[in-house]
Amino acid sequence: MSDDTVPASRFATDDSLSATATVFRGLALVPVLRRGLGITILLAALGAGGRVVVPVLIQQAIDRGIVGFDEVQIGVVVQLSVVGAVAILLSGLALRWAALRLGDRSERALYDLRTRLIAHIHRLSLADHGEERRGGLVARVTSDIETLAQFFQWGGMAWMRNTTLMLVIGVTMLVYDWQLALVAFAVALPLAFVLRAVQRRLVRAHGRARERNGEMLGALAEIVTGAVPLRSYDAAGHVADTVREATGRKRRDQVRAAIIGAFLFPSGEVFSVLTVSAVVSVGVWRGPSGGLTAGAVVGFVFLTYRFLEPIAEFTEVIDQTQTAVAGMRRILTVLALDVQPPPPDPDSAIALPAGALSVGVDDVTFTYRPRQSDTVASGPALSDVTFHVPAGQSVALVGATGSGKTTLGKLFARFADPDTGTVRVGGVDLRSVDDADLRRRLLIVSQEPFLFDETIRSNVAFAAPDRGPAAVDEVVERLSLGAWVSSLNEGLDTRVGERGDSLSAGERQLVALLRAGLVDPDVLILDEATSSVDALTEVHIARALERLATDRTSIAIAHRLSTAARADRVLVLAEGRLVQDGPHSELVAQDGPYRSMYDDWISATTV
Amino acid sequence: MLSLHPRPFAISFAGAAVFALATVASSFALEWVIDEVIVVRFDEGEVAVGTVLTGVSLIIGIGVVRAIGVVFRRAAASTGMWLVAETFTNEVVDRLVAQPASWHRRRADGDLVARGGVDAETAVSVIAPIPFASSTVLMLVVSTIWLFLIDVPIGMVAVVVFPVIVATSVVYERTVSQHFARAQERLGDFSAAVHESFEGVQLVKAYGAVDRETVRLSGLAGQVRDARIRALSMRTWFESVQEVIPALTNVGLVVLGAQRVDAGAVTVGEFSSVIFLFSLLVFPIRLIGYALSELPRSRAAWDRIQNIVDDPVGADPRTSIEPAPAGVGVQLDGVTFSHRQGDAHLDGAATVADVDAIDVAVPRGSVTALVGATGSGKTTIAELVAGVVAPSAGTVATADGRAALVFQEPFLLAGTLRENVAFGAPVDDDRIRSALHRAAALDFVDALDDGLDTVVGERGVSLSGGQRQRVALARALVREPSVLVLDDTTSALDPSTEATVLSRLREVEDAGRTPTVLLVASRPSTIALADEVVFLERGHVRATGRHADLLASDDAYRELVEAFEADRSTSDGEDLETGLQWSAT
Repeated sequence: MSDDTVPASRFATDDSLSATATVFRGLALVPVLRRGLGITILLAALGAGGRVVVPVLIQQAIDRGIVGFDEVQIGVVVQLSVVGAVAILLSGLALRWAALRLGDRSERALYDLRTRLIAHIHRLSLADHGEERRGGLVARVTSDIETLAQFFQWGGMAWMRNTTLMLVIGVTMLVYDWQLALVAFAVALPLAFVLRAVQRRLVRAHGRARERNGEMLGALAEIVTGAVPLRSYDAAGHVADTVREATGRKRRDQVRAAIIGAFLFPSGEVFSVLTVSAVVSVGVWRGPSGGLTAGAVVGFVFLTYRFLEPIAEFTEVIDQTQTAVAGMRRILTVLALDVQPPPPDPDSAIALPAGALSVGVDDVTFTYRPRQSDTVASGPALSDVTFHVPAGQSVALVGATGSGKTTLGKLFARFADPDTGTVRVGGVDLRSVDDADLRRRLLIVSQEPFLFDETIRSNVAFAAPDRGPAAVDEVVERLSLGAWVSSLNEGLDTRVGERGDSLSAGERQLVALLRAGLVDPDVLILDEATSSVDALTEVHIARALERLATDRTSIAIAHRLSTAARADRVLVLAEGRLVQDGPHSELVAQDGPYRSMYDDWISATTV
Repeated sequence: MLSLHPRPFAISFAGAAVFALATVASSFALEWVIDEVIVVRFDEGEVAVGTVLTGVSLIIGIGVVRAIGVVFRRAAASTGMWLVAETFTNEVVDRLVAQPASWHRRRADGDLVARGGVDAETAVSVIAPIPFASSTVLMLVVSTIWLFLIDVPIGMVAVVVFPVIVATSVVYERTVSQHFARAQERLGDFSAAVHESFEGVQLVKAYGAVDRETVRLSGLAGQVRDARIRALSMRTWFESVQEVIPALTNVGLVVLGAQRVDAGAVTVGEFSSVIFLFSLLVFPIRLIGYALSELPRSRAAWDRIQNIVDDPVGADPRTSIEPAPAGVGVQLDGVTFSHRQGDAHLDGAATVADVDAIDVAVPRGSVTALVGATGSGKTTIAELVAGVVAPSAGTVATADGRAALVFQEPFLLAGTLRENVAFGAPVDDDRIRSALHRAAALDFVDALDDGLDTVVGERGVSLSGGQRQRVALARALVREPSVLVLDDTTSALDPSTEATVLSRLREVEDAGRTPTVLLVASRPSTIALADEVVFLERGHVRATGRHADLLASDDAYRELVEAFEADRSTSDGEDLETGLQWSAT
C-alpha cells in the first residue's frame, strides 16, 4: 500500500542546487553581507601579516646582527625588534577590526534573513503548516540559520584569515627565495589531498554516527513515552535491550569517527617535518653560493611551519561550510515555496462594500493537497457547492465527518482558494479582496482557539491591538462576561499558560469570543468546539455567543444539532455536496439525512 | 568517570606523554640542525653529508613520534569518552526501566530522554580534553626546565609568560562565554516565540496579524543580533590579544636572545629553537582555558544523570492489586486516591482527579461503563485498576489479582506489526491473528503487502489513528487479560467498530476467560453497549445501574449524557485521517 503513496512533498529540498549556486543565491538575499567586503578582506590580509613578522625578524636579526659578525649588533637587533613590535600591534588591530566587521555584517545579514523567512512562512498556505511540518519550519528560522551563524562566527572567519594568511606567507616565501619556496610547496602539496581524503571519510563517519545517535534517541524515547503500556505489558526489559544495542552501535560509530579524526592533525604534522627537512636539505646543499644566508634558511623553516598551520584548519572548516550550505539550501527551498493564497494585485483589489455583508459560494470544488504520509489519495472535500446567505442571516452547516463543513469555513476565511468556483463576500470574489480589508470584516473563530502564553487581556487585544487596552474591558461588558472575569484570580491579567493550559476548554472558548467581539466583524464564522464544557461556562458561552451573533451574518460549523435548531437556516452537507437547505423545522419534517441525524441524537440522549 | 573504562584512558595518557616530550624534543632537533648544519654550512662553508642526514632524520623521526603520540592520545581519549557515555546512557536506561509507571508520570518525557542522550554526551565532553590538558602541563614543566637549562634569563621569561597566556585564556573563556550565554538565552526566547507564532499561524492569519507578528519576532531576532555583536566585539578583542602576546614575547626573545648570544651564553640554534618552542606551546596553552570552560556544563549534566540513577526505585502500584472473590471481575473497596498524600505538586499526576472511599464491584465477564464529567474520577479508577497509580487507602482487586490492561493512546514501537502485537510476549502467529481479528484489525492487516511483517513507526508504513488503535487493542487481547479497560475519551475507534470489538471479546472459546471490561465512556453510543453504568461525580459513586434506568431516574445523569451529545460520529476526529491537518485557531 505504500507503493501508491502520493509523490514527494513540496518540502523536499532541491538538492540539484549546487553549492556555488546556493552561496550566490544566498548572498543575493542579503546585500548587507557584501557591503564593504573588500575592506574587510584587506584588513584580514593586514592582520595575517602579523604571522610573518617573527620569522622575518629572526632572519633579519641573524643575518644583519648575529651570524657572521664578531660581536652581536645589539643596536640593530633592537631597532629591528621595535619595528617588528609595532607591526605586530598594528596587525593585531587590523585582525580585530576585520573579525568584528565580518561578525557584525553577518549578524545583520542573518537578522534580515530571519525576518524575511518569518514573513514568508506566515504567508504560506495552512496546508504547509501541518503539525508534522511545524518543527521543520521552526528549524528553518532557528537551527538552519544557526548553522549559518556558526559558519560566520568560525568558518567564515577562518576562510578569510587562512586564505589571506597562506597568501601572505606564500608570497613572503617566494620573495625570500622562489626556489626554496617551490620545494616547500611541492612537498606540502600532497597534504591537501591527504587531508581532503581523511576529511571525506570523517564526514561520512560523522554522518553515520549522527544517524546512529538518532536511532538511539528514538529507542530511548520509546521507553519513556511508552512507559505506561510497557509496564502494563511487562515489555520494558525487551525494549531496553533494543536501546542498549542502539547505544552500542552508536558508540562504535562514534569511536570510528573519532579514530579517523585522530589522523587529521598528525598528518599535517608529518608533512610539516617532511617539508622542513626538504627545505633544510635543499638550502644547505645550495649554500651561500646560491645567494642564501643562514638567517634566510632559519626564517624559511619558521615560515614553512606557519604556512602549513592553516591547512589543517581548512579541513575542519570544510565540514562546517558544507553544513552551512545545506542549511542555506533548506532555507532557499522554503523561500521558494509560493505564498498561498496569493494576495490580490493592489491595483485590482476591490474594497468590500460598507454595511452588512452577504456571503455565498458558486460551484465551489476543493481538493486537499495530498500529504506524503497519506496511504490513500482522498477525493474532493467539496464538489460543486452553491448557496447564498443574505446579510444578517444565521446559518448552521451540519454534516458527518468528512462532509466538508469545516473546509467551507476555511474557504470563507480564505485560508485557501477553491480549485474551481467562487467564494464571495458582499458580492466580491475573495480573490480580489485585500487581506487587511477582509480580516476587519470577516472573522473565523475556532472554539478550540490558540492562546499565547500571556495574560487574557493581551490574548484578547491580539485580535485588534489598535483598539487600546480599554476596549477589552468594554467587550467584556458587551458580551456580559464581567462575572466570569471577576471569578478569575487576577481578572483579565490572569496568565493563561502555555497554549492556554491553565484555563479550561470552555474558558479558552470565552477568550476566543472576546477576541471576536473586539474585532466586531460583519461576518462571523464559528467553528464549534467538540469538547464538552462544564455547565456554568456553557451558560457564559451561550450568552456571549448570542450577543455576538445578533446583527451580523453568521455561519456556524455546527457539531451539535441544538445549534442547528437555533439557526435561521440549516445547510446539510454529505461527502462534499450540499444535500439539504432549509430551516430546522422544515428539515426535521422531511425524510432525509438531517432527519436521521436528528433521530440518532434524540435516541442517544433520551430513554 | 575515567575509572569506568581505565584502559583507553591509560593508553591516551601514554600517547599524551609521548606527544609532550616529542614536542619539546622537536625544538631540540631544530636547535641541533641550526647549530650543527645550517650555521656550520654558512659560517664555515662546509658540512658533512652525514651530519645533514642525521639532522634531517632527527626532525622527521621526532615529528613522526609526535604524530603517533597524537593519534594514540586522541583516538584512545575519544574511545574512552564514548564508552563512558554509553555506560551513562545504559545506567539511565536501566533506571528508566526499573521505575514504575507512576514515577514516569511525574516527569516530562523530553527531559528523561535528554538525560540519557544529550546529558550523557555533555557530561563526558570534559573527558576528551583531559589527556590533552595533562600533556600540556607536562610540556610546560619539561619546557620550562629545558629553557632554564639553556639559559636562566630565558627560563625566567617562560615562567612569566606561560601563566599570562593561561590567565588570558581562562579570563577569555569566562567573560566571553558569559556574553555568548546571554546571546544564547536571547536565541532561546526567539526560538520559543517563533514556535508559538507558527503554531498559532491560523489565528495569526484569521486576524490579519502576519505583519504584526513579523515585526514582533524580528524585534526578538534583533535582540539576538545585538547580543551576538556585543559578544563578538569582546571575542575579537581577546583573540587579537591572544595573537599579539605570544608574537610580542617572541620579539622580546629576539632581543634577549641576541644579547645572550653576544654574552656567549647561548648558540644561534638555541636562540632560534627557544622561539620555536614558544610558538609550539602557545596553542595548547590556550586550549586549557577551553577545557576548563567545559567543566561547569559537564558537571551540571553529570548531576542530572546521577539524579536519575540515584533516585530509589519506587514501589510498583501493580503489586498492590489483590485477587478478587470468586465471580467478581473488579472490586474496589473503600478506595481513596488523593494527591495531597503524594505527588500533588508534580505535574503528570495532577491530570488524575482524586477519588474518595469508592466501593465498586462488577461481575466477572461483564461490561461496565464508567461515566462522569471531567474531574469525576473515571480515569483515576481506570488507572487504579491498571496499577498505574496506587490507592492511598483501600484495596483494589481483580479476578486473577493482576493489573488490568488499559487500552488508551496507541503506542507503537518502531518494528513489525507482529512485534507490536506480541510486544515481548511469547505468542505464535495464530494467537496474534486471532487477537487482530477480535480487535477488528485483521482485515486491514491482511490487505497490507507484508501482512504481519509490515514495518510500522517512523520509518515504516504510516497507519491511520483508528488502525493504530486497533493494533494496540490486539496487543492487549493477545494477552487474554482478565480485566480490560477501554478508554473512549482517548480512542479513535468509531462507535460501530467499538460495538464489533465488544461483541468479539466474548468470542473466547473458554467462557471462563471472558475478560471483564471497564469502559471509560463519554459518548452515548458507547455507554449504551455496557451491561451496567457506574455514574461518578467529583470522586464519588453517585449512582449505579443500567443506562436506561439512570436516564429515567437521575436528572444529573441525563443532563450529562445530553452534554455528551457532541457525539464524535458527527465531529471532526476523523478529519485527521482523511483530510489535511489544519492547526487550531
